Amino acid sequence: MARKGIRFLRRGRVVEVADFAPRTTLLDWLRIDQRATGTKEGCAEGDCGACTVVLGREREGRLVYEPVNACIMLLGQMDGAELITVEDLAQAGALHPVQAALVARHGSQCGFCTPGIVMSLFALYQEGGRPVTRETVCDALAGNLCRCTGYRPIIDAALDVCAEPPADAFESRNEATLAALRRLDDGEDVFVGEGHAFFAAPANEETLAKLLSDHPEATLLAGATDVGLWVTKGLAPLRKFISLGRVKGLEEIHDSPEVLALGAMSTHARAMGPLAGIDPDLGELMRRFGSAQVRASGTVGGNIANGSPIGDLAPALITLGAILELRQGNDRRTLPIENFFLGYRKQDRRRGEFLRSVLIPKPGPNDHIRIFKVTKRFDEDISAVMMAMRLTIKDGRIVTARVAFGGMAAIPKRALAVEKALLESRIQEGTAWAAAGEALGQDFTPLDDHRASAAYRLQVGKNLIVKALAEIAGAPSDATRIIGHREAAHAAE
Amino acid sequence: MANAQGPETTGTVAPPLPTPRKTGGIGAATPRVDGRAKVTGAARYGSDFFGGPDPAYAFLATSAIARGRITEIDDSDARALPGVIDILTHRNVGDRVKPGKTFSDKGYMGTSIAPLASDRVWHDGQIVAVVVADSYEAARDAARRLRVSYADETPSASFDSPGTETVSAESKSKEGEKAGQEKPKVGDAPRAFEAAPVKIDQHYETPTQHHNPIELFTTTCAWDGDQLTVWESSQNVYGYQNGLAEQLGLEPSQIRVVSPFIGGAFGSRGSLTQRTALIALASKRIGRPVVLEATRQQGFTIATYRAETRHRIRLGADQSGKLTALIHEGWEVTSRKDEYKVAGTDASTRLYACPNIDSDVSIVHADRNTPGFMRSPPEVPYLFALESAMDELAYAAKIDPVELRRINDTDREPIKGLPYTSRSLMKCFDTAGQAFGWSRRSAQPGSMRDGDWMIGWGCASTMYPTQVGPAAARVTLRPDGAVRVQTAAHDIGTGAYTVIAQTAADRLGVPLDKVHVELGDTALPPAPVAGGSNTTASVCNVVAKACDEIRRKLAAAVTVSGGPLDGADPGRITLINASVMDDQGRMASLKDAVAKTGHGAVEAYAENIPHGAPPTAMQNLYKGQSALAGGAKLKDRIQFAFGAQFVEVRINARTREIRAPRIVGAYAGGTIVNPLTAKSQLMGGQIWGVSSALHEATEIDRRFARYYNDDLAEYLIPVNADITEVQTIFVPEEDHQVNELGIKGLGELGNVGLNAAVANAVFHATGVRIRKLPIRIESVLDAPVPT
Repeated sequence: MARKGIRFLRRGRVVEVADFAPRTTLLDWLRIDQRATGTKEGCAEGDCGACTVVLGREREGRLVYEPVNACIMLLGQMDGAELITVEDLAQAGALHPVQAALVARHGSQCGFCTPGIVMSLFALYQEGGRPVTRETVCDALAGNLCRCTGYRPIIDAALDVCAEPPADAFESRNEATLAALRRLDDGEDVFVGEGHAFFAAPANEETLAKLLSDHPEATLLAGATDVGLWVTKGLAPLRKFISLGRVKGLEEIHDSPEVLALGAMSTHARAMGPLAGIDPDLGELMRRFGSAQVRASGTVGGNIANGSPIGDLAPALITLGAILELRQGNDRRTLPIENFFLGYRKQDRRRGEFLRSVLIPKPGPNDHIRIFKVTKRFDEDISAVMMAMRLTIKDGRIVTARVAFGGMAAIPKRALAVEKALLESRIQEGTAWAAAGEALGQDFTPLDDHRASAAYRLQVGKNLIVKALAEIAGAPSDATRIIGHREAAHAAE
Repeated sequence: MANAQGPETTGTVAPPLPTPRKTGGIGAATPRVDGRAKVTGAARYGSDFFGGPDPAYAFLATSAIARGRITEIDDSDARALPGVIDILTHRNVGDRVKPGKTFSDKGYMGTSIAPLASDRVWHDGQIVAVVVADSYEAARDAARRLRVSYADETPSASFDSPGTETVSAESKSKEGEKAGQEKPKVGDAPRAFEAAPVKIDQHYETPTQHHNPIELFTTTCAWDGDQLTVWESSQNVYGYQNGLAEQLGLEPSQIRVVSPFIGGAFGSRGSLTQRTALIALASKRIGRPVVLEATRQQGFTIATYRAETRHRIRLGADQSGKLTALIHEGWEVTSRKDEYKVAGTDASTRLYACPNIDSDVSIVHADRNTPGFMRSPPEVPYLFALESAMDELAYAAKIDPVELRRINDTDREPIKGLPYTSRSLMKCFDTAGQAFGWSRRSAQPGSMRDGDWMIGWGCASTMYPTQVGPAAARVTLRPDGAVRVQTAAHDIGTGAYTVIAQTAADRLGVPLDKVHVELGDTALPPAPVAGGSNTTASVCNVVAKACDEIRRKLAAAVTVSGGPLDGADPGRITLINASVMDDQGRMASLKDAVAKTGHGAVEAYAENIPHGAPPTAMQNLYKGQSALAGGAKLKDRIQFAFGAQFVEVRINARTREIRAPRIVGAYAGGTIVNPLTAKSQLMGGQIWGVSSALHEATEIDRRFARYYNDDLAEYLIPVNADITEVQTIFVPEEDHQVNELGIKGLGELGNVGLNAAVANAVFHATGVRIRKLPIRIESVLDAPVPT
């Protein structure tokens, strides 16, 4: 028998909500229903971060605090989490260290983005006890826009307080919170609403498969970082949601020397470390993927199943030869990820089918990987051009080549002519680099839009091929990189 | 007051916390007094007010065409939805709401396009219906279910579109002091230009931009009988009150507008939009408070924006670089119906010495929503053109760009020969140039390189008029030293709460934490619009005046025979350390002094009419008319704040990604009441400038005259990682001619010059001159890669 309401932790107590419309966002519930107006709405699509709240959840056996965008998270997704908002940080009239630092550093101007920034820095503070640099603070705040703009003093405030091990009320009740969250994790299916309009969160694959067979038209909900926008921006009259967030096993990550298996519901935040382990460029790509809020909600499976033409992960996974595993009822099948994308926003996913996991073969010792993302704004920007390359080189000769691009066509796609041009050429031969770059013109007729002109996309696509080949051939990356050095990233691994 | 500070961004350790020079008073680097409210979520903005326990929610439906008529609105599906209460359209609104007059027509509105007055559609995204329901969700669903049919006509989108109408801006000017302000002229510029040995003749272009404050456009209205209360973030609460009264046929006193905190404004909340009266009407019709939160997309068309502009600049100079001719022509887009213009020739013809100047401004009517003020409205586009042209002239004359400005520096504006009250432009250049390391620049374009990075250094002047408005304030001092300051000024993030509190603390000799400031409410004495960088000067001066009145009352009381400071000269009484002191150092407690007045507390109400404002300015202020005086509008003098801005750009040779890792600005703004809030303003402005030069543009689908990047994912503003080193330096300046406290405005000074500085740096990096903003990654695609 399914549970008829959701339960989550707030201010040390269990909150039960049974009566809510399936589409209700967490932000609307907070602001309109609860009149908790400290959390702000600035865009309703996960761009500005004014609505940032922090969720406490058990990850790999410990309590982890992560920032999320309340504006595009559906209330139903809260089940089993601890919810913390800006009103909850000050204890007995004393500001939280993050709040005190922002006041002392003069980190707010109009103050409207401030609650979101407080919460993003609160999450960073909870991670504490590791080196905090300008770059890590910028990463933590990539999803918080300040229009006034106080980017400098905000960073100073973070540097003041986020490097120390956390010592606040949340840290001191860590054990109790973890125990309370475990008590909420009852393994029950959740079903709120009626057959014609509901928010369901099945607890295992069997009940998920059954529910999906009964309601094949229902919207499958992973992290809601895109579906949330269908509601808030597209005004889509969606009535039936099946959330995958509670399905046991779908979030699992298995990392072996041969293969990295990412359950479809692995969030980008959790997948980031294992992916960076495959190659530092993959780690760098994930660092610039969305924002901390989007990575904490968005999932690897959701990003692939959604089939965005500009999704950054797909080209990388195509070059790595990733395999998708899908399930429909009791039928399971696998297919190479590149065959999954059929056309613009069209994928090889059948009615009632769901993505279970992504299997990523580990590159061998002769494999060389380069991944580049080119944007106007440094963070939180859709790629103008995104390239991934994997070469297998034996005795100086390229024996296999896989090159894929995002943002160049209606789907993430391999550049077969480039691959052909590279095959059997010698990596040290500069003339081969230019020839490979030139072949890109046979692969793509890129589109012309406000993100970049067609001519730009093609030219920079070519340049990225040359840049990757130059690096693989041994050019030092401090000469070719915008920030950071690839060699340093390797050393740090 | 000097507050030069060194570089402070690199590394992992933040610079040391600033040490306040003194606690609380004028000049102290005091963290903002509302900081705590902002970090705890306690600060309440417009959308945080619900008007009562059981409000209804409104959702806007906006037009799908840019020009034509509504032929039918089928609302049967919408009305069938449970919870839907009311739907406002032109059929049931009509003339129940008056359009109101625009700001430039001595009214209050940002546009005279009254959306529900008739079936006429004037622009894409115009409000065509307001749906009101029990819940936000029901209102949103119902709005989606409305079926609106149109008879559409082909719209004119912008410059070069068929069907636009170009008219001279001057012909649209009103009588009086403003007439001819778009066309400053002296000497014979065309002839001097012909004869000049060194010449520049170029065209420049700036894009459509939207303010995009992070707070959305929201309105909450509630009626109590005939009394209306409006909660809406506003830069001009008295203007809103009077404008709404006009639109709804009420007395201003029947309306209260409340706006304690504003989630960013940048000009977007200066004039009244058409939505507010509609929400007031909806609330009246259903007898319940109504809450509207427009979406980010709707914000692009239901409010104002910075319109695209074009410029032609002709500069003539002699071989030494001295200007002999300056001709600035501007073209600006506006709506079909309104005559909004920024006409920045007012400033661009007064920056440099030049004997022959000519200028002209034209406006181009298109089928668009009416543009409006956006941070430094005239200066941003017009100085981008001028300061780009000056850089081109520097290369043509083979003179360092900084030296070119020195050669043409002046202490009198060139049109009428009026003296600047103060002008520290070259001091700013020298200070900022030194901090930036300008002397290490190699002049040749494309000559500075770091690995794959092509490096460019550029600079430009920045200027903004010093304006002061009429203002009123009430100050109350209680015997325990508690002070209450009341004025309907606005803190749009600038720090008004803080600097006003500092002024009162300073003048009344009490600690800062004893001062309580109330702003943003028409129940308080009026203050001008928070625009034109006038608030600190206008309001701090009038608060100081009220405090001085309190001091006089106390002085009179304590110096009477038998008083605690019997025999002292009342004119030499000061307030210090929560006490009253005479010139002999004798002290009396505030408690005794107040008691001696015979009152429970001492209160003063003050009004201030600034130099150059008409004697009716206070009456007009109560009617919501701010009438700022200053800048180039005075008859006897000219007053501007100046600065110099330097920027380093780095352009990746392979990807052409453009970054601006270093921004340095030096500014002279008279008295700095609070270096922290002033610095915040200027630093934010500097980031705005880079954002404007490299990122911001509203894209228009010319077929439909429709904005298509109308969200924060596609309308790019920088993120933290885009901004690395920002240095903001104050150059000491004293100017007590501008006003008693010597305050010049700063809020709009910081973003002006950087538009050109970035373009000039891009030229230096690549040899490619970009005359159209924003500079895109493909703008420099064809630049040769230096070896």
